[in-house]
Order: sequence, then structure tokens, then C-alpha cells
Amino acid sequence: MSLAFLVPLFLLGVAGVVIPIVVHLTRRQRRNVVHFPSLMFLEKIPYQEQRRRRIQHWFLLSLRALALALVVAAFARPFFDQSSGAALGSGGPREIVVLLDRSYSMEIDDQIEQARDAAEGIFADLGPLDRASLVTFSRGAEVVVRSTSDRSRLRGALDTLTAGSGATRYGPALKVAQTILEESTLALGEVYLLSDFQRNGWTGDEGVSLPPGSSLLPIEIGTEREPDNLMVADVSLPRQIVAGRERITPTARVVRRGGEAPTTVSVSLDLDGQEIQTREVTLAPNSAQPVQFQPFTLSQPHTTGTVRLDDNALGADNAHHFVVSPGSSLSVLIVNGAGGSSDPSLYLRGALEISDDGRFEVRTRRSSTIRPVDLDGAAAVFINDVQLDGGSAERLRSFVEEGGGVLVALGQDGGWPASAADMLPGTIGSIQDRLQGRGGTLGYLDYEHPIFEVFSGPRSGDFTGARFYRARDFTPSDSAAVIARFDDGSVALAEVRLGRGRVLLWTTSLDSFWNDLALQPVYLPFVHRLAEHLGGRTEALPWFVAGQVVDLADPDALETAGLVSSEAAGLAEGLDQIALSPTGGNVPLPAGDGPRYLPLEEHGFYTVRQPGTDPDRPFVIAVNVDLEESNLGRVEPDELVLQIEAPTVVDDGSPRLTQAVELQREDQERRQSLWRWLLVAALALFILETVISNWVSRRTTGAAGAVAG
Amino acid sequence: MAHTRPRHSAAGTQFLDPAVLGRIGNLELLARTVVDGFLTGLHRSPYLGFSMDFAEHRPYMPGDDIRRIDWKLYARTDRHYIKLFEADTNANFSVLLDLSSSMSYGSHSLTKLDYARYLAACLAYFSNKQRDRVGLVTFDHEVVDYVPPSMKHLDTILHTLDRATAGRPGSLAEPILRITEMLSRKGILVVISDFYEEPDAVLKALGPLRARGHDVIVFHVMDPYELEFPFEEASGFEDLETGEQIPVIPGKLRSDYLTMVNAHLEALEKRFTDNQIDYRLLNTSKPLDAALFEYLLSRERMSKAR
Repeated sequence: MSLAFLVPLFLLGVAGVVIPIVVHLTRRQRRNVVHFPSLMFLEKIPYQEQRRRRIQHWFLLSLRALALALVVAAFARPFFDQSSGAALGSGGPREIVVLLDRSYSMEIDDQIEQARDAAEGIFADLGPLDRASLVTFSRGAEVVVRSTSDRSRLRGALDTLTAGSGATRYGPALKVAQTILEESTLALGEVYLLSDFQRNGWTGDEGVSLPPGSSLLPIEIGTEREPDNLMVADVSLPRQIVAGRERITPTARVVRRGGEAPTTVSVSLDLDGQEIQTREVTLAPNSAQPVQFQPFTLSQPHTTGTVRLDDNALGADNAHHFVVSPGSSLSVLIVNGAGGSSDPSLYLRGALEISDDGRFEVRTRRSSTIRPVDLDGAAAVFINDVQLDGGSAERLRSFVEEGGGVLVALGQDGGWPASAADMLPGTIGSIQDRLQGRGGTLGYLDYEHPIFEVFSGPRSGDFTGARFYRARDFTPSDSAAVIARFDDGSVALAEVRLGRGRVLLWTTSLDSFWNDLALQPVYLPFVHRLAEHLGGRTEALPWFVAGQVVDLADPDALETAGLVSSEAAGLAEGLDQIALSPTGGNVPLPAGDGPRYLPLEEHGFYTVRQPGTDPDRPFVIAVNVDLEESNLGRVEPDELVLQIEAPTVVDDGSPRLTQAVELQREDQERRQSLWRWLLVAALALFILETVISNWVSRRTTGAAGAVAG
Repeated sequence: MAHTRPRHSAAGTQFLDPAVLGRIGNLELLARTVVDGFLTGLHRSPYLGFSMDFAEHRPYMPGDDIRRIDWKLYARTDRHYIKLFEADTNANFSVLLDLSSSMSYGSHSLTKLDYARYLAACLAYFSNKQRDRVGLVTFDHEVVDYVPPSMKHLDTILHTLDRATAGRPGSLAEPILRITEMLSRKGILVVISDFYEEPDAVLKALGPLRARGHDVIVFHVMDPYELEFPFEEASGFEDLETGEQIPVIPGKLRSDYLTMVNAHLEALEKRFTDNQIDYRLLNTSKPLDAALFEYLLSRERMSKAR
């Protein structure tokens, strides 16, 4: 360890030490004349010029010179160079990135503690010129400490580290490591991956490529054997209306991974924090069992529930949380023509009335006119094969602009008044027959649209079986969106937004005259989706998965989160809110024009309320862990290393190394900050010098004053 | 430097601070204050004086000055008698006061000239009170004022002293020679000066006075700063007589200066003593009446010696 200077050029300023001496020797003598009777004797004394210039107060001069030297030294930025030749001899300083897995699987057998110990060991072995970063990761990666040689900072960051609720994803963490190494000025890079190496976290196409000169060093945490893990994989919450009240029959799916012998586990159901029921279930190794609980009546909004298992290897997936609120029925008005013996709405009404949870309240009006009273409380209106008058169309316009939804189904008698033609998503044309072959089919469905989203999965509804023999020709407007087309390319379903609501146009009938869709199994869910979409209903999610984010300023998002519509509107309007995390942390959500994102990082219940209030039934969001993490199958660390492009160590010359050393010196100087102490010492010396010189001056002035007198 | 310290042998005598005397504007009042107080404090004059009045006869003893034998009485009685005199009330007493510029120096409220004027006034008053004829000569490099000795000239002397100022360069030889010519009758001469000349030159200058048979008493007036040189700060020292200025760092010169001053004083004392000139060094910070007292004591000793 030796004393070095970061800016040695400033040491030239030491020449300034001579300033006090020069000032002393060159300053004009003060015009202090003493009248003396005779210089007879003084003139006889051998006079030497040097005497006048001789320095009388060496101590004062030394203080001044020392203070100036300290100031100069402070500007030269001194530091004790702790670098050693050994660090350079081993290939130069290293940029070390420690990737520490804090997914919830790391809580098994205190693996997070082991990972922290391993990281501390790595930081303890840092060379004087090495720099290290600490990156924690689960689903995402977070740079906790970036590129420092300050071991205390690194250790401090480790001290507060705990396992989170996220699942393991190696990709983001390795990408962060890649970025750090690419931006580093140090020649060598080492990435330490501290994880339990769950296979689920690695997809193989992360596209990570560490820069040349760097290497990936996996450190496996935990035991090799796969633990016996039980989890609540899912909870279904089907609703029924019994005696006008909603009843929910929770059914949990308990999964066991690993294990060697059958085991019996206790499964309990908590509602609003109180244990309601307990079931015993026996699971063979690597098996799953459904556990059905007794139904409970749902009367209160934001009722929290948890299905819980006995403690086992992994605790986070032993509980499955959910939040349910009593549902409200959607009021649907069906308008069809008054004439004719057949009922064009037979299938439509029947489909809407079939539901266990009574989600639709259906009213039918047989008339070509719609009265204002008909629209009271209605959320969706089906204009089924009827020609409305202009006044009714204008009433519907107001209804839609205020948030309602209208579907116009064009059958034999259907039509639309020309005065309100701008309400429709296009222009209605003539009737087109598809008589050749077996008629037309639906050739295109927008599966990203909320209506068809539920049918996007395999075996989730087949529209191809439906035959369409007749439909209205339709030319969509520029603002319209075509959601479904027939196989000949003509429009089957189009949508246009009007105000806060929407208008859909179905170019064929909803009964079985022009097509046989009403006879297909997919008809019922299709009609339900139509009604829900028109009514603006969003399916509430009983729980979220850790890592998701909810925008509390978005009413749709709030409805999805289970907040009832009236509360959602109030919350979105913008009052200050605060979210309490499951571990008791506060997440302030101040009011503002922008989004109010609530990151759901912990599993459990997030409570959202206004600061300073304590409502009886606060808005609660349930968060469960990502069950992918419950699969504790491991990937071989070496296999993972091999899949990452193996970099080769390239010594790209000394300038980079020199630059790195310079950076290291600067870092050492910054951490030691000796210049501050030097400036303080210089200030103290200046003060001391001032006090002493004033004292000396006063003493001398006293003698001179006597002369003047 | 024993000679710089007055020996206060008169116990109980209240000496007057020169600074207090400085506040007395009237020189006569000042002289009276000093001398009367001094005499009162002394109770009785220890000094018989230089009177020529006959006191008594006593038989001649071997060793007596044969010049003092009263030959007339011898003619009548055929015996040798010595004739003793009580006092000489008609002696000439002159003060020779140096008015050179250097005498204007004073480190405190009193300059050397002030001190010298007070001393001269006191001596004149005292001598006049003893019925001596008192005179005054002031000089610098030439004679400035001359008041011939007379019983009636005390007021003139005091007036002359009162307006005496120092402002010109001084020297001893020329004016003393001139004074020697003026004072033809023998008398007591008190020379008050700071004697900023070489001892030999001083003695040479005063030599004619002594050669004329005058009793010469020298008062060497010095300021305490001249004797101690207590300066600290480096300054330019300007000669009061020549105006010459030199830079001086007192701390470095002090020891050399004091050595030279002491050597000068010792040389002066030795020269004067060797030539039977009574020499007194007066420090202007010391009481004036103490100086006067010492002077009288020394005169007494001299008288007895004679």
C-alpha cells in the first residue's frame, strides 16, 4: 500500500509554499518611523541587509507553508493505493456479476441463506482492482449493486436479501449480466449464477451471449434430490343461484410432485381469514387429487378465501388465495318484430336465460319502437330482425353514447332507419343467398376480440360447423372493425364504437331461418359473449399471479381485478390510494392523470384503500405464486453453461487494462476521500496561524505604540 | 548600571514624578515646588555652601593648606591659625543647557529637554536661594541664549528656559569655546546635555571650562528608551538631528546597542572623573528632586574632599 495521487499535476502547486516567504521578503516595509535622538550607536553596528529579511517567526511560516501544502495535496487527490502486482499478474482486474436466484423455491432448506453465503464468499475473494455487481432475479432481474469494489456495499445488499414470490427465469438475469459486462471497462468478466437451477426457468432460446473474455460460473445451491412437494394447483369457484342467493362450491386441485409413498394431507378452506372446512386427501407420488368443499353462500363483496395445505417442502405454493364478490346480473333487452307467428328470439332468449349463476336478466319487447322506459337499467340491447323507427334509433343512440351496447341482427324483416345510418358500422345492402353447396361458413374470426377470445384455444368452441345460407350484404365504414367474415369474405359481424358504448351488426339472423348457428353448441357461449361484450362486463379474476401488474387507474383492469363497477369507477376517478402488501408494506398510489400501477410482487392479499380510512370490506386483490416454480426439476448447470454461447478470452491489449486501472484508482480515491481531511487540516492550520500571528502582532504593536507615545 | 539608578538615601523623602512636574506650566513654581519640598524634606541643609563669609579660626595642623593661614592673625599672635569661611553667597552659578534636536526626544510624556529645563530651573532657583549669582547659556551648535550670572537674573533665566526649544543640530566644542570666553569669572558651571559625541570629543570640548578654573558639573540626560532600547518591531529609525533614516530590527541590534551605550557612558564617566568633573547620569523617568538630591550629596562630598 503506497500513497499515490490521482491528479499529480496539482503537486506543482507545492511551489506556492514559497509564497509566504516571498511575501515576507518582498513586501514593503511598513512606514513605521521611529524618531531617535541619534543614530550614533546604531550606525556603528555592522548592518546586514539579511537581518531585516531574516524570518523571525519560523513557526508561523511553517504553519502557513504546511497549510498551503495540504491544500495542494488535497487538490492532487491523494489516496493509498491498495492495488498489488498480484492482481494484475493474474490476468488483470475482473468484472464480476453475481446473479442470485430469489425465486420462492429458494426458501426450501434455507437455500437463500446458502446463496447469500456463497455470494459473500465471492465478494470476499475480490481482488483490489476487481469490481462486482449483485443482481437478484426471479421472473425479472434487478440490479441491486452495480459494478463497485466497495465490499461493504455488496455485503450490505446481501444482508437484506430474502426469497420472493416469483418464479425462476434465467434469461433476464443473464441479459443484465451481459449488459454489465459489455459496458465494463475491465478486460475479464465472470458471471456467477447462484441458483437451485430449476428446469422451468430455462427455455434455451434466451439469446444470451456473454462478451469475449467473460465466463459463466454456475454455483448450484441446495440438494441434488428432488423434494417431495405438494401444492394447491388450482381452485375452481363455480357459482349457483339458490333461492336467489349466490352459492359457490370451491374445488381445489391438489398436486404432489415427487415423493415415494402415498401420503395423506389436510386441506383447509379459509374464508375472510377464518377456517371454514378441512378435508383429508391421500396422494400417491406424482399425482393429483381434486378436493371439493361444501358450498358457501356469497353475500359480501371482496370475500377473501384461501385453500391451504399442511406445511411441506415448499411453503409458498401450499396456499391458494382468491377473492370473490357477489355477481350482478346483466340486463338484456331483446327487441323483435310484433308481427308473425314465429318467435325470432326463441333461441336467443333461451340461450341467455340458460345459466347457473343467473348472469343475464332478459326482457323482450315485441315492437318496432323502443320507449325510454324500456332502456332503463338495460346494459345490452339486441335488435333482432326488426325495422325500428327513427325515434327509437335516436333513443338507442343516446343509450349507446352513455355506455350501452346494441347488436343489430338482420333477418328477413330487419332494417335500420336511414336517419340514423351513421350509428351502424357500415352500410346495409341487399340479401345475399349462399345456395350452392352446403351454404357458407364463417371463414375468419378475430380471436383477439373479447367475443371470440374464449374460443381461441383448442376444443374451445367450433364455429366451422355452422352453415349460413343467407346474409345481408354489408359494406363496413372506415371506423368499423370487422370481427367475423364468411368464407366468401363478406362481413358477418362488425363493430363500431359510439360514445362510451358500441354497436355491433350481425349480417344474418340469430335464429335458425338463415343459418343453423343456433343449433350449434357454440351458439350459447357465443350469445353470452355477445351480451357480456355489449354490456361491458369484464370477467373478474379471483386471483393474480405474482409478477403481474394492475393499473388501478383503469376501470376495466379494476373490474378484472374483481372490483365491482361502482367502486371501480370511484377508484379510477382519482383519489389517493394506498395498497398494503401481504407482508405489510405500503405502496402509495397517488392520484394523477397517468396510470397507477400496482406491481403484485408478493403472494397473499393486497388491500387497496384510501389513506387514513378503514373500510369494512376493502378492495382486495389475491395473488398466488407462479406454479411453474413448484416444479422443482433441475437442469444440469453445465448443460445451461453449454447452451450459452461459450465466449473465448481475448486479451485486447493493454490500453483497456490501463483504463481499468485508472478507474480503479479513481474509485479508491473516491472511497478514501483523503482530500476532505486534508482540507479540514489546512483550515485548522490557517485558523491556528491567524490566532498566533494576531497575538504576535498585538504584542509587537504594543511596543510600537509606546514609541509613538 | 548603578549610575542609572538614583540612590534614594534620604529615607522618607517624597520624590516628585517628572510626569507630575511636567503638568506644572510655571517654571518658577515648579522650581519652588521641587526645591522647597526638597529642603523641607531634608530639614536642614547638609551643605554649608561656598560662602566666603568668615566662620572661625582654628589652629593650624600639619597638612592644612598653608594658603588658608591667616597671616594677619599670625602677625598679631605669632601663632598659625587657619581661617574658615561659612559660605560664599556671591559665587557664579551658570547652567549650560544643550538645545540640540536630540534633546527633544522623549519616550514618555517628558522629553529630555523638558527634564533638562526643569533641572536647570531647580538648580537656578536653588542657587539663587543660596544667594549665588545665577546665569544661563543655551546652545546647540552655537550659543542660542546667554543670561549672564546675576543675583537678579533668576526670572530671566526661568523665562529663557520656558521658551527654550530644541530644533537644530548640536555640537559641544564650538559653543563651549564661546561660552568659555563669555564666562571670564570662575564659577560653578552645570552642563546639561545628552552628549551624543565621542567621549574624547566631549572632554576636549569641556576642557577649556575646566582649564579656566570653573567647577564643572555634568548632567547627562538620557531617556529610558535610549538606555534600554526596548523596541520590537522593525522600523525605520530617523536621527533627530541629521534626519538620516536607517532600517532597524531592534531585536537583533539591541544587545549591540546596549553594549555600545554602556561603553559610552562608562567612558564618559571615566573621562570626567579623571578630569575632576562631576558627572551625573540622569534618567528622565526618575524623579527630578532625587537627581537634585544626589547632586547635592555629591557636591557635599566634593566640598569635604577639598
